[in-house]
Amino acid sequence: MALSPEDLSSLRRQRFVSRAVAVPLSVFVSAAARLRYGYRLPREIARLRAEIWRKLDAHDGPVIWAANHLTLIDSFLVYWAVFPFSRVLEDRRIPWSTPEYTNYYRLGGRLKSAFIRALLYCCRCIPFLRGGEDAASEAWRQNAFDKCVWLLREGGAVFVYPEAGRSRSGWLEKRRPKDFLGRMALEVPEAKFLCVYLRSDSQLGTTVRPPEGSLLRFACDLIDGARPGDSARDVTQRLFDRLAELQDQWWKDCPMPKNCAGDDVVDLKSPLLRENFSDGLDDADPEWLERHLTPKELSALRARPAEGFFAGFWRLFCAKEACHKALARAGLVVPHGAFRDLQVDLFARKAVHVATGLQLDLRFTDDDADKLHCVAVLRGGFIGDDETPGDVLWNVAEVPPGASPGAFAREMALDFVASCNDEIGSPVKLALSEENGLPAVLWRGRARDWSLSLSHSGRYAACSLLVS
Amino acid sequence: MAFMRKQAVVEAIDLNTITPEDAEKRITAGVKKYATSEANYAKADGNTPYLGHIVGMGIESSNLADITMSIERQFLTKMTNKVPVDGAAGEFKFAAGELGKLRILDGQDALAATPGLSVKMLMDLGHMPKNDAYLAKVVSFAYVMACGDGWKMADALKKMAAKAGALQGGERAEALANVRTLAAQAKEYDALLADAAKLAAAKQKTYANDKTAYDALGSELAVVLDKIKGQSAGGDAAALAKLRTEEAEIRTRLKMSAAKLRVSHEVAEAAGRRRPVEDAKVAEVRKAQQEAVALAESLS
Repeated sequence: MALSPEDLSSLRRQRFVSRAVAVPLSVFVSAAARLRYGYRLPREIARLRAEIWRKLDAHDGPVIWAANHLTLIDSFLVYWAVFPFSRVLEDRRIPWSTPEYTNYYRLGGRLKSAFIRALLYCCRCIPFLRGGEDAASEAWRQNAFDKCVWLLREGGAVFVYPEAGRSRSGWLEKRRPKDFLGRMALEVPEAKFLCVYLRSDSQLGTTVRPPEGSLLRFACDLIDGARPGDSARDVTQRLFDRLAELQDQWWKDCPMPKNCAGDDVVDLKSPLLRENFSDGLDDADPEWLERHLTPKELSALRARPAEGFFAGFWRLFCAKEACHKALARAGLVVPHGAFRDLQVDLFARKAVHVATGLQLDLRFTDDDADKLHCVAVLRGGFIGDDETPGDVLWNVAEVPPGASPGAFAREMALDFVASCNDEIGSPVKLALSEENGLPAVLWRGRARDWSLSLSHSGRYAACSLLVS
Repeated sequence: MAFMRKQAVVEAIDLNTITPEDAEKRITAGVKKYATSEANYAKADGNTPYLGHIVGMGIESSNLADITMSIERQFLTKMTNKVPVDGAAGEFKFAAGELGKLRILDGQDALAATPGLSVKMLMDLGHMPKNDAYLAKVVSFAYVMACGDGWKMADALKKMAAKAGALQGGERAEALANVRTLAAQAKEYDALLADAAKLAAAKQKTYANDKTAYDALGSELAVVLDKIKGQSAGGDAAALAKLRTEEAEIRTRLKMSAAKLRVSHEVAEAAGRRRPVEDAKVAEVRKAQQEAVALAESLS
């Protein structure tokens, strides 16, 4: 769909105004980041900028900025980090942004809203509408897309988040690409992608802005857009793969553990598990249920056929316990017994830590009449699905009679880790240490970021690890 | 509906008519069937953790709610009058009223990791009179957790040292590299346990993280309130209703975040206030750690 003459003149007018205020705006962005929020950039910022600008200078064409997305002010922060003040007059290089209309354009009373709209206008924003399947919303999205394409064809730069929204897990997953940036690149084959992975060292998940005083580290690169014969998915996948590599590079220097996964096993035949259920296992003590489940979980459980009630409850419980361990690995400890802090959706295979909104992926590796085993992944790798094995390894075994389940789980975990890696060969080369109450594998005297998780219940012991 | 639990008949007793020691005994007896570590349970006292196998009773997390419900079933209280909490829609707390069933609300048991701490919880919530002499014997939650980590470290090091000692050649060298790391960690943790101020500073970090998360939610609520303000002029009822739902969700999240913040605040505070009962527990675990380190060092 072609842009109307009004659209074009409106874009030209906005470009003219934003060009006129580019210098004071850049000063404002930098001052707000440094002075109001106390954000810092890495010491080697000059080198990082010089490296990326060497690549940008060698490419005379349009650029699509593509970055990970965690906070509502990421566009400003990425611009501040990547764009040196000395380049502010290079109008063509200043990116246009595509903020979500409902998030930014109706904020506060009349005055505040007018100020924010004016600021966004000057910052070259083209409001985008993510929600809505009606014709008007579709037309809005298409119009915004066409504006971006036009700007790129004019040799400009456009900033779009490839994940199409803030990542609820805090992790960019390359196996879940969204194709719209691929489509955009196919429209403008001469465009390259400026890939940026930026986040605060203490950023767990999505927030309005990074914690005050944060150090914002980033990794970036300029890569090809569309190549001859590419499909939209080819382009998108290449972009996501590169962003994922930058993500790995970023995590190498991060004080937080990258891999955050957990597991839990439930012995469905354990007599203690039946205590609060009715004789037919088709209902349970309402008070006891309410201590474990959120209202949403409870209604989902009650909607199941009666014969699935018992296993359904323990599926939810097992998922919560696995999530508890994955979150603890990220430094987020759910208090004892606070089962309702986690909400599980078995159908979507997702769980949410209610207080922070962090989202985890779930997978039941064992689900039979005897036992359940669930793994949960917050970040660090792909949990896997029916087609892709994923990055999680696990083992479930029966505890030998007379053995201590905890001790057996630890020994079994070491055997399993050693069996998964030819280089290790023997479990005697490994040891388990404790880090903040969580198990960690030691190999060659060094703790490994493998997110080992141990669990046991009744007759079973299990372990999982995330290696990516 | 017949629940299997009903097979056990429990006669509830008024918390105001018994001593804290009696309450502790009843609480400990009530969790016996969930304890998988029989040896530890047999010698359990008010400071034995419910969870964990090394020094704990070995109760599994699937029975955590059963501990609280077992306490509820055993006692009667006069704090039965539901009164709304100021400024929190739909929330209530208990005030003095007629003698009735004990209710422990969501989150109130977050620090009740031992029978002694369960009794402390009952005192803190006003279900039984405060007894300072009893509380002086109860190890704080902060130290139950800190000592628990110490026991786990000492146990891991001891087992690894024993294993490495039996190996030969290249395997022994590789195992000893791990033993050295474990010993260094144990020494570091020993130094942390030795200094209450250092331990408090470490726990303060957790509190600071929780505070950051709480503040971040506050910012999120402010954005939603701004959106509501902006939308109110527009007259889009559906969008406004959606935002109101979002606001309610964030308020729920704030409530949970505040509960967590209270826990980490209490832990950070308690870690810095070490009393003789905690000194004794710290001394025990430090001794175990030092023995494990000595064993490890004797190998190299």
